Amino acid sequence: MKFKHAKPTIVEADMTPMIDMTFQLIAFFMIVTNFDQTQADERVKLPADRLARPPKVARENEIVLNVGFLRNSDGSVSSGPFIFYPGEDIRVADFEPRLRREFTISEKQHGLEKTQDTTIKIRSDGDVPTGMIQELIKMGKDIGFVKFALVAKSEDDP
Amino acid sequence: MKFRKKETDGKVDMQMAAMIDIVFQLLIFFMLTLKIIPPEGDFNINMPIGEMAQSSSDIKLDLKVKIEANPDGSLSQLWFGGRALGNDYPDCFDRLNNEIAQIAGGQQGYSDDLEVELNPDYNLHYRYIVKAISSCRGRMRNGSLITYIEKIKFAPINKPQ
Repeated sequence: MKFKHAKPTIVEADMTPMIDMTFQLIAFFMIVTNFDQTQADERVKLPADRLARPPKVARENEIVLNVGFLRNSDGSVSSGPFIFYPGEDIRVADFEPRLRREFTISEKQHGLEKTQDTTIKIRSDGDVPTGMIQELIKMGKDIGFVKFALVAKSEDDP
Repeated sequence: MKFRKKETDGKVDMQMAAMIDIVFQLLIFFMLTLKIIPPEGDFNINMPIGEMAQSSSDIKLDLKVKIEANPDGSLSQLWFGGRALGNDYPDCFDRLNNEIAQIAGGQQGYSDDLEVELNPDYNLHYRYIVKAISSCRGRMRNGSLITYIEKIKFAPINKPQ
């Protein structure tokens, strides 16, 4: 009687669909990842508006000021409003030296003309008193900035 | 003479393990760094606080919007010129938008000789001023922006007593 020689059975899983899917996921995450908005502070709860649209042409020079409150875990305001400057939180009334320093540094780097062309983008929490925003604009204007923009979250049409 | 039978059948096995490791690491990196941020837009304030138009002869009509606040910062009363538009947020801002639309000429594009001066109370919450700017700037129709007034400025600050 003749026995057939049994071949060793190695089951190879077909990896192709998994690799296809993984590459598609990587492509998706690469496209949706946005490294630009690093100046946005998540503590600021911006108001939403339908007319708020990103500018068609990106601004060359801009300074982003995040104005908001320190909040408790339940969302209630604990203190503020502050300007969330890198590394520290500063009250609006005490911000003038920092803004002046921004102007001086920018003037040395880019010249007076380009510095005056810099837009001050104010990202403010919806609950911040408007008078403080006005004071911030006035402060910037007294220092030498000319262009100001108020930021809101884009809201979709109903 | 005896020839050995060649055992290779032309199939080359690629070593996939290393590639899959790297691919998964890339995938995890992009998943962790993903921050879902809603798109943001901004409104230019061309004429900052209290500054008069550089060539005042260009401005034929200076519209005034006063926004009064309650002590807690909520909207107390919205005024357009001498007319009260109410405090029923957001409908009162829709009324302001309609008034501006009538003056600016409806859908015929924005008017360069119009300027709005916003005069908010000091403690008014920022969200109302954004709504007021939006109501003066224009409206969205069928997904496109119809601009009424580009020139928007702030009145001098109303310091609390």
